[in-house]
Amino acid sequence: MRFNRQRAMTEAGRAAALVVACVGVALAASRHVQASLVAEHESIRAGEPFWVGLRLKMEPGWHTYWKNPGDAGLPTRVKWTLPEGFEAGPIDWPYPRPFSQGPVTSYGYEDEVLLPVPITPPPSLTAGNPVTLAARVDWLECQEACVPGRADLSLTLPVTAGAPRAAAEAGGFADARRRLPAAPSGWTFQAAEKGGAIELVMRPPRTGGTLREAYFFPEEPAVLDHAAPQTLAGTAAAYRLALTPAPNAGRSPARLKGVLVVHDPEGKARALRVDAPVANKGAGGVTPQAMEER
Amino acid sequence: MTIRARNLAALAMAAALTAPTAARAAAMVGQPAPDFTLVDSNGATHSLADLKGKMVVLEWVNFECPFVGKHYGSGNMQKLQKTYTGKGVVWLSINSSAAGKQGHFAPDKINALMKEKGAAPTAYLIDTDGAVGRAYGAKTTPHMFVVDPGGTIVYAGGIDDTPSTDQADVPKARNFVSAALDEALAGKPVTTASSTPYGCSVKY
Repeated sequence: MRFNRQRAMTEAGRAAALVVACVGVALAASRHVQASLVAEHESIRAGEPFWVGLRLKMEPGWHTYWKNPGDAGLPTRVKWTLPEGFEAGPIDWPYPRPFSQGPVTSYGYEDEVLLPVPITPPPSLTAGNPVTLAARVDWLECQEACVPGRADLSLTLPVTAGAPRAAAEAGGFADARRRLPAAPSGWTFQAAEKGGAIELVMRPPRTGGTLREAYFFPEEPAVLDHAAPQTLAGTAAAYRLALTPAPNAGRSPARLKGVLVVHDPEGKARALRVDAPVANKGAGGVTPQAMEER
Repeated sequence: MTIRARNLAALAMAAALTAPTAARAAAMVGQPAPDFTLVDSNGATHSLADLKGKMVVLEWVNFECPFVGKHYGSGNMQKLQKTYTGKGVVWLSINSSAAGKQGHFAPDKINALMKEKGAAPTAYLIDTDGAVGRAYGAKTTPHMFVVDPGGTIVYAGGIDDTPSTDQADVPKARNFVSAALDEALAGKPVTTASSTPYGCSVKY
């Protein structure tokens, strides 16, 4: 892919210490998403975890998917081939946005997204020898139609003894982190299932807790009806978000897990992690349960 | 399609049975399958009500979707169609793409594509206005339903447990539809009666 090679050259030029080799072997069919691997720092050092990012640039109108793709689609997947002793963690997913096509709602990203992945190198790493991290990345790109995409990417980083310096891409990581769900410090969440509906009760911290809108992204499919409207009611003392269970979900979920995105009256968005037990109103009352911070 | 009213009635019934989620239609496991009448790619009319006494599979299809391509390209779907129609099952492929949307074809083109792929459903039904797809809550292609001879939905969900577009995954996957059909044909309850469907969105 001509596009990927060009980008690799620009980046290598920009940061001489950083050799970014984006070997794009994306399937011929995948013409709408440009994938690359980027590093937050110019080098790494022994035993010190660092972040790399999978950056997906999508053509206008095209999107890729979150970890729960919603009603249709597939989450982006990364399979790493790393030097001995290196370990990659899971993608730390920025919150997505809903895409609706009639009664089908999916969750994903448009324009551009950086998916951060933590990597831990072994303590035995010696300075001087660069290391190459390779990843096979599979995604589904959809506009209205969908096309599977794949790229074999790699990133070579120097190993230094001194503290790694921020790379040119560090800003992209900072942007991605603003969209990562935070521990809901000071918030209380409780969920209850009653009469075939699920209600999420949200008690914001005492300061600055006014909400203009809220949307809950369940992290697993088959829990909620993604296409159902989510209705916000209540006041700063306790807001209620009315959710609809997925058809054929069977029993109501034991816990409601996912990401709550709230907008304050100025429209500023915040994403919070939610992991709340679901009480069954028919069988015993609801006990408020404070969120544990992770 | 004169069936509008009937669909609406079925829809209202489904809504009444599934309680407060009101207007949001979906075919629910353990409940009556919404009735429908659709015309197939050869111009013949099929009503679900006329199929009482038979096991019926509904397969939402879009030949331009890569997930559907995985199951036809590997021969998986055709094999299931042949195996189970050979056992008396009625297999209805349904396309709910709106006119002009991906996967919507004229009947001649459908028949040519079916021939090319060796597809062997009982019929390929055309649901251009999406009424039947919406009544069933069909979200993806493929999205599979099994209706027992009494007209009750005994399976709703994905074709198997491996969401991907990769044909190499087919032999390793656990096929929920064949498992449901084998159990239902043997008169046993279906162990896995629902799963998360995966695929492209239905192009309503």
